[in-house]
Amino acid sequence: MTLVGGPAGQLPATPQAARRTGPVRRAAEAIRGHEETGWRVAARIAVLVPLAALVFAITVLAIKAYPAIKYNGFGFLTRRTWNAGGSSAYAQPVYTNGVEHPASVSYGAWALIVGTVQTSFIAVLLALPISIGAAFALTERLPRWIARPLGFAVELLAGIPSVIFGLWGILTLGPFLAKHVYPIVADHMPDVPVLRYFRQPVGSGEGLLTAGIVLALMIVPIITATTRDLFLQVPPLPKEGATALGMTDSEVARRVTLPWVRSGIIGATVLGLGRALGETIAVAMISGSIITIASNVYSPMTTIAATIVSQLDGAETDGTGFAVATLAEVALVLAVISVVVNITARIIITHTSRLGAPLGA
Amino acid sequence: MKFHRATRRVAAGALAVGALALAIPATAGAATKLPKVGYEKPPTASVSETGSTLLYPLFNIWAGGYNTVYPQVTITTAGTGSGTGITDASNGTVDIGASDAYLAPSAVQANPDLLNIPLAISAQMIAYNIPGVTAHVKLTGKLISEIYEGQITTWNNSAITAINPGVTLPAIPIVALHRSDSSGDTFLFTQFMSKTSSTWAASPGYNTTISWPSSPGALGEAGNSGMVSGCKATPGCIAYIGVSYLTSALQAGLGYAELQNQKGTYELPTATTIAAAAAGFVKTTPANGTISMIYGKAAGGYPIVNYEYGIVSTNQESSATATAIRSLLEWAVNLKDGNSSQYLSQVNFVPLPTKVVAQSVTQILKIK
Repeated sequence: MTLVGGPAGQLPATPQAARRTGPVRRAAEAIRGHEETGWRVAARIAVLVPLAALVFAITVLAIKAYPAIKYNGFGFLTRRTWNAGGSSAYAQPVYTNGVEHPASVSYGAWALIVGTVQTSFIAVLLALPISIGAAFALTERLPRWIARPLGFAVELLAGIPSVIFGLWGILTLGPFLAKHVYPIVADHMPDVPVLRYFRQPVGSGEGLLTAGIVLALMIVPIITATTRDLFLQVPPLPKEGATALGMTDSEVARRVTLPWVRSGIIGATVLGLGRALGETIAVAMISGSIITIASNVYSPMTTIAATIVSQLDGAETDGTGFAVATLAEVALVLAVISVVVNITARIIITHTSRLGAPLGA
Repeated sequence: MKFHRATRRVAAGALAVGALALAIPATAGAATKLPKVGYEKPPTASVSETGSTLLYPLFNIWAGGYNTVYPQVTITTAGTGSGTGITDASNGTVDIGASDAYLAPSAVQANPDLLNIPLAISAQMIAYNIPGVTAHVKLTGKLISEIYEGQITTWNNSAITAINPGVTLPAIPIVALHRSDSSGDTFLFTQFMSKTSSTWAASPGYNTTISWPSSPGALGEAGNSGMVSGCKATPGCIAYIGVSYLTSALQAGLGYAELQNQKGTYELPTATTIAAAAAGFVKTTPANGTISMIYGKAAGGYPIVNYEYGIVSTNQESSATATAIRSLLEWAVNLKDGNSSQYLSQVNFVPLPTKVVAQSVTQILKIK
């Protein structure tokens, strides 16, 4: 394939323009010049808006969180307590290092951080094989007349608001799993490391595993749609060649198609992970909303995002403002986790796309 | 049925003193005089209310009743939790915040314009879902605190069976439910725990959200309706639920406990026992309405009763809205109107004592 195009930045001359001379032509060119300048300026402003919004949001969060960071200290990241002060909120507030707070507050984010990582990990673990399988079926196996509506359905799933997933999770999925699925799983799990966490008690269906499953369903469409588009970009020639060499369908998939798009799939997974880490309302509804580290996979727990949404109103009743500052601090922690995940993914992508350049590329 | 008969008895008493209450504001509120009917005539305006899910069902009935008198005021209501009620009233995003808890001193310092106006008297029941048990189980504050602290873990624990002779309690685990949102019900419940258990008072204490001790299978639920549906779905559960949800709790098949009061007797939350408990606090209720009525000394009183508060700023942006808010609240606390048994018995609340009505009207008249 050859590239078609002239030198960059030069406007293509039309025969009409070439024939025009004198003031008319100069005016026309002046207008086009202004158009160009205006366009470039608008584009440059537009590109600054997201950056400015990001900087603004982080800065404001950091300013709001400052008293909490000062009082909570580094222990905030490792403490498991989340105590808004109890009865001391109804007594006179006290000052520590110039920070006003109810006397016996003790905040720690460790349980929330663990909960956030656990639910997202379960979600990705479940969603990845489903998404890759679905993308394969949509691009390689199914006839077009059925693949197209199915693909459309997957994209529709991506557009469903998370509160609907949450409602369905708490009304239907959670009770169903707790009644018919979890007990069977729990009763057959051996008492060995890791699998021990799948043993009884199964609880009510609100908890870590249910939250992970609902999150998985929410990120499947994102990963599937991206992976499908990646598969469509794999040129047919290497695949046909591999088939001609006697490879089976699954061998072609594993040895040609998947390596070709490896870094893209990692990117798609990170997109899904990003959504899972920050998902708020669905998790707030089905996690069981207990600020603690889950004792088994069925136990109620909570995440950073869910805690922020369920605690904000109560926090604002703390007249010292310390509870809100602490929520801002834990929001900063979530932002940092998201950034770290994204940077890690980028490093992985650069690394793998260098190594994994497949078959003659 | 027992409940309704008792309510009528109390309501009859309330009606008898109703006329007296009408006369008081005219002398107490020197600046603004109320019309003879007991409430002002509002202009066309809209008033928004949000907050306590315990007060929410009553506010809906009130809105309908008030609109039959003054249809020109559009009232929107929402049950979002007392924390939201306080916060939104404080921010000015809502006209009336509803709360089961009075304001914390720090909240008053942060926003001195806020009033907490007693609007009615409510109570909290301790509900449970114990398969096969239809009787009212007797419980004490101390036992409940030990359940929530994870020390008593099954319903047939000897400490529970000892005070419940004749009731066969099954050997199933107790699942303690608590509110995950910021809730006045949590405030009332944890105050009861704090007043009956010294270890609870030391930690975690009381508040609209607290750091819950860990107990096996404990679950967080949003709103009183979340507590009812969560308890229905969880055999073995125990939950603290506002009495305005008694009907839906019974429909969900839940039972509710007889609680031990300070005198040592076990009482159900009926109009009689709630009114008896509240009567013990009439003298001590201060002008700003801030008082805890949990675990009082009154004989025959139910231990968890409280004033339901309207959280309103004295400083309204428009005088039309201010007048509409005053009118609505004056109507609501009036013993012949909003505080009559016609409205309150539907949600198992009891009317304010006449002295407190007068104090509330004095507070309402500060809304400008």
